[in-house]
Amino acid sequence: MKPEDLLERRLRAAMLTASGVDHDCLVLADAVMLAAIDGSCPLTRGERAALAASPLTIRRFRTLSLDYAASLKPAWRESSGMLRAADSGAALTELVTDDGYWTLHFLAARDAATAPRVILQLHAQAPFARQLLADQPLLRVIDGAGAVVLQGRLDPDGECESAWPFDAPPAQHFQRSGAVFAVEALPG
Amino acid sequence: MRLPGTRYQEHGWEQVRKLLGQCSLGAFAGPGLDDYIDAMSAALSRLGSRFDGPGNSYGDTVRDLAFTLLYELQARSGDWAAFCTTLPSHPGEALLRKKFNDMYATLRDKVDSDNYQAACGRVCSPNRIYAYRMLDTAYHEIARLFADWRSHAAQVGAILGRDIDAAPIEVRQMQSIAGCRPEWILRWSASCDGPLHTRSKRFDALKDNPAKIGAMLAEIAEYEALSANRDADWRVDSGAALDWLDDYQRVMAAPEEAAPGPDRILEAQQDELDVVEAEMEIEIEIEIVEADPASMLLAASVSLPPGFMQMARLAEDPASWAARVMQEDGLPVRLAVYAKLTGPVDDVYPDAWCDPATGALPTMQQLAVLAGVSLPTLRKRRDAAVARLMNAARP
Repeated sequence: MKPEDLLERRLRAAMLTASGVDHDCLVLADAVMLAAIDGSCPLTRGERAALAASPLTIRRFRTLSLDYAASLKPAWRESSGMLRAADSGAALTELVTDDGYWTLHFLAARDAATAPRVILQLHAQAPFARQLLADQPLLRVIDGAGAVVLQGRLDPDGECESAWPFDAPPAQHFQRSGAVFAVEALPG
Repeated sequence: MRLPGTRYQEHGWEQVRKLLGQCSLGAFAGPGLDDYIDAMSAALSRLGSRFDGPGNSYGDTVRDLAFTLLYELQARSGDWAAFCTTLPSHPGEALLRKKFNDMYATLRDKVDSDNYQAACGRVCSPNRIYAYRMLDTAYHEIARLFADWRSHAAQVGAILGRDIDAAPIEVRQMQSIAGCRPEWILRWSASCDGPLHTRSKRFDALKDNPAKIGAMLAEIAEYEALSANRDADWRVDSGAALDWLDDYQRVMAAPEEAAPGPDRILEAQQDELDVVEAEMEIEIEIEIVEADPASMLLAASVSLPPGFMQMARLAEDPASWAARVMQEDGLPVRLAVYAKLTGPVDDVYPDAWCDPATGALPTMQQLAVLAGVSLPTLRKRRDAAVARLMNAARP
């Protein structure tokens, strides 16, 4: 949006919501305004006049409108990625989903007593990062054959870690199972 | 304390209050609200960066919050008139400071009660905000006593309702305000002639009412937990923050025939905590300051770059809605309107509109000089232009 358009909209917004009406109070119930916002039931002439005369109610309308718009944003369901250039000979250390929002890190075993680890990391700039961290859904990473690589919930840093569950090291395992993987949220 | 929508309930308020009080001493010259607002705007714009620290956990600076409250005052001339009638004809500095402190303390709770209603749709009076704050303060006081229960065994015993000899388990269990029981608040207040045990009617609705106190404590706790892992309110500054205007326009323009009757308009609801008392003198101490920075700051020049008017005009968009409505008014009036409606500092303003010395739009004094009119005339023209814009914006 051009800055001058933004200024113009700010001015409109400032005028609609400017306080200064004595004893202003909420004049419409949330349900009435929400039904008008989602289009299911318009306001009557009297309700429109009451809304227009109450900056406080217009501010409540603003909150409801923005919350409603946020609720319509498509939620994230799944990201997928592929194994690339696996023949370099070096051990696979990470895989990134095609959308760039998730990385799988592979940590080799430190010694004979520990198992290799796999870490799923959500990138902070993913548009759904805030929502996902708040909702804490159960996440699952599956390989091309449908086997579960990792399952769990993100910690506050946006990571989820577990032991590498297969005998073959990551590069070999993914190569044998279709060279693809997917991160998905489990329903519920 | 944080509550939905509120901006002035955290520790930073103390600094906002001091800043407003200090600048007011230099800016106040009589009952003219416009004079006061303009002098305050100039003083706040010219302050150094030491007031750009955070005034709350939403990222508003102390200066931002002082500005916002000043603009709220501008819209509430009735409050200002009431304030002026309580002043003696020649108030001393200490009294004037106290009066300003009281006025802004009252105003912040009015503003925040409106903020709260807009955020969550529940009726809230300024006194309810005050009551939330009282409960939050009481909790912190109880937590302080618990932390040092050995030194305060008698009072902690009174709060818990039993004698204390070993470390009480409650002391370890109360991790946050969520773990504070309403009876403890009541007994704490009884133990020290606290806010619920005075003759004041302010908290009548809460006296002997642990259920209501418990509900308010739970609300504070719930919102603190919710807001603790959320950063600044992203909606305030992004362009998407204005998308609601489209909803508003659509709702106002929808065909009326489909609307059912009759009107579903709410009656004004009384908040049971809505107690207005003659003495609103709360939690304010008078402090003595050595210097008066406001008066020094006010002695500022009107100097702008020589080509200011020309460059500023080039930076305008003559086709914009606001510029069209105010076509006849001249640039200084338009800038005065912008400053009044959205504040003197805003990153949507082109650099050419701002005083390089302050980064803000020119002050009203500067604009009056630019317009070649007196300050009162500029204000009249500005207010007339605002009225025309209002009519154009509200269908």
